[in-house]
Amino acid sequence: MDFDKDISELREKFLNDDFDEQTFEIDPVNTIEYAKLCGETASRFLDPEDENFQASPTYVASLTGSRSLPKGFPRFGVGMDAGKGVECFRPLRPGSTITGRTHLHDIYTKTGRSGRMVFTVSRIEFFDEAGAHLANSDSRIVMREKR
Amino acid sequence: MTISSISDVEFGEELPVFEPDTSLETVKTFAKIIGWGGARFSDHEAARKEGFPGAIVPGILSQGYLVAMIHQWAPQAEIKQIDTIFRAAVVADESHQITGVVTDINEDENLVEIDITVVNSKGETRVFGTASVEIACEK
Repeated sequence: MDFDKDISELREKFLNDDFDEQTFEIDPVNTIEYAKLCGETASRFLDPEDENFQASPTYVASLTGSRSLPKGFPRFGVGMDAGKGVECFRPLRPGSTITGRTHLHDIYTKTGRSGRMVFTVSRIEFFDEAGAHLANSDSRIVMREKR
Repeated sequence: MTISSISDVEFGEELPVFEPDTSLETVKTFAKIIGWGGARFSDHEAARKEGFPGAIVPGILSQGYLVAMIHQWAPQAEIKQIDTIFRAAVVADESHQITGVVTDINEDENLVEIDITVVNSKGETRVFGTASVEIACEK
């Protein structure tokens, strides 16, 4: 895939370097309420006594780091939420403490009649206390370039 | 009919339509528990002042509705991946439907691909995406 020169330079400089790390205590009260509000009815999401009690698969998308872009990353315009993605590898257990590490996973552009739009994908990788990789949460931000 | 085995899944099958609770009260509560305090999620008038058509449903709540629909269809399904594009605002207190259609079945890996959408009462797609879910093979 070909990129504009400035985007190639940004990719070279910023992709795949962790720029934030946070720990999160997974509160069962929150995960249950989250699941109910989404419309989940299965006991594994709602009942702490269920032997497979876990947070909803997309709960990790609500966990955010202290910043969504690395220091020094240029602002092309106002950022808008363009989408979210979640990959699940292991269940997230309420009551546990997990660590999230953020890096820029992708930078690309699309050009339309109104000009160039710059997309960034920030990925938070979540790990449990034993270091097992639980999930990834991607946030896609689009910035319409100022002319 | 709910799905308990991947052998029950048919290519092109439409999942039962799910009508989510998009009431302002639900949206406010959701925004509060995830720590998103913006008025755009809790007050129609304040959201309009920000340029939205009304108070909006957070994108991750729309994503949660989509996953809930899959679990209503296949209660034991495990979500492996979900990717959603937020095309336009989902407005609180407005009726929406969550739909899905099976686009691929991989029985070797027990994986099903589903195209998913959030559509408003005018039939306009607000959120769309894909999900990959694991559904066990009946023993």
